[in-house]
Amino acid sequence: MTENLLVDVLLGVGVAAELVCSVGVLVMRTTYDRLHYSGAGSTVGAFCILAALLVREGLSSGGLQGIAAVGLLFLLGPVVVTATARAARRIEHGDLEPTAEELERGR
Amino acid sequence: MNAFTVAATVLLACFVPCGIVIVRGRPIDGVVALQLCGTLTVLALICMAEGFHRTTYLDVPVVAAVLSPISGIVFARFIGRWL
Repeated sequence: MTENLLVDVLLGVGVAAELVCSVGVLVMRTTYDRLHYSGAGSTVGAFCILAALLVREGLSSGGLQGIAAVGLLFLLGPVVVTATARAARRIEHGDLEPTAEELERGR
Repeated sequence: MNAFTVAATVLLACFVPCGIVIVRGRPIDGVVALQLCGTLTVLALICMAEGFHRTTYLDVPVVAAVLSPISGIVFARFIGRWL
């Protein structure tokens, strides 16, 4: 009974987090704002769903495969976000160097 | 239906906002939405494998978790250099 309730709560939080990320990607204006939501999709929501799986399965082979899948998402997610942000910067400014205005603002 | 199949259904519904961005947004925004679609795919596959009591199917999200970020990097580099 308690286990089922815990699984339901964890799945609800995880799915709600993914829903927020999905709507955020739709609503935000700039590519960088959208990247915040896209990157967050592989953190809170994914770990809540993994926790629900582990409550149900324990550390069986299924649980370990879930850990591998979510762990890979979590570790490789920032790499993809960085690559996409660099591509967006290259599209907008032609290169990755800061502009004179940005340098002035940083001082 | 159990909790995991309901969760998988809602996760699949999350594809709709991403699809709108892919169809209507700029190409680089489409890449961002595509990355989130990859994450959603992995999580939906996990939920479906557990929901249908077929834990051997959990091999599929592991493979998807490897391939999805790689495809995102390939798309980002392609769009950054040639578009």
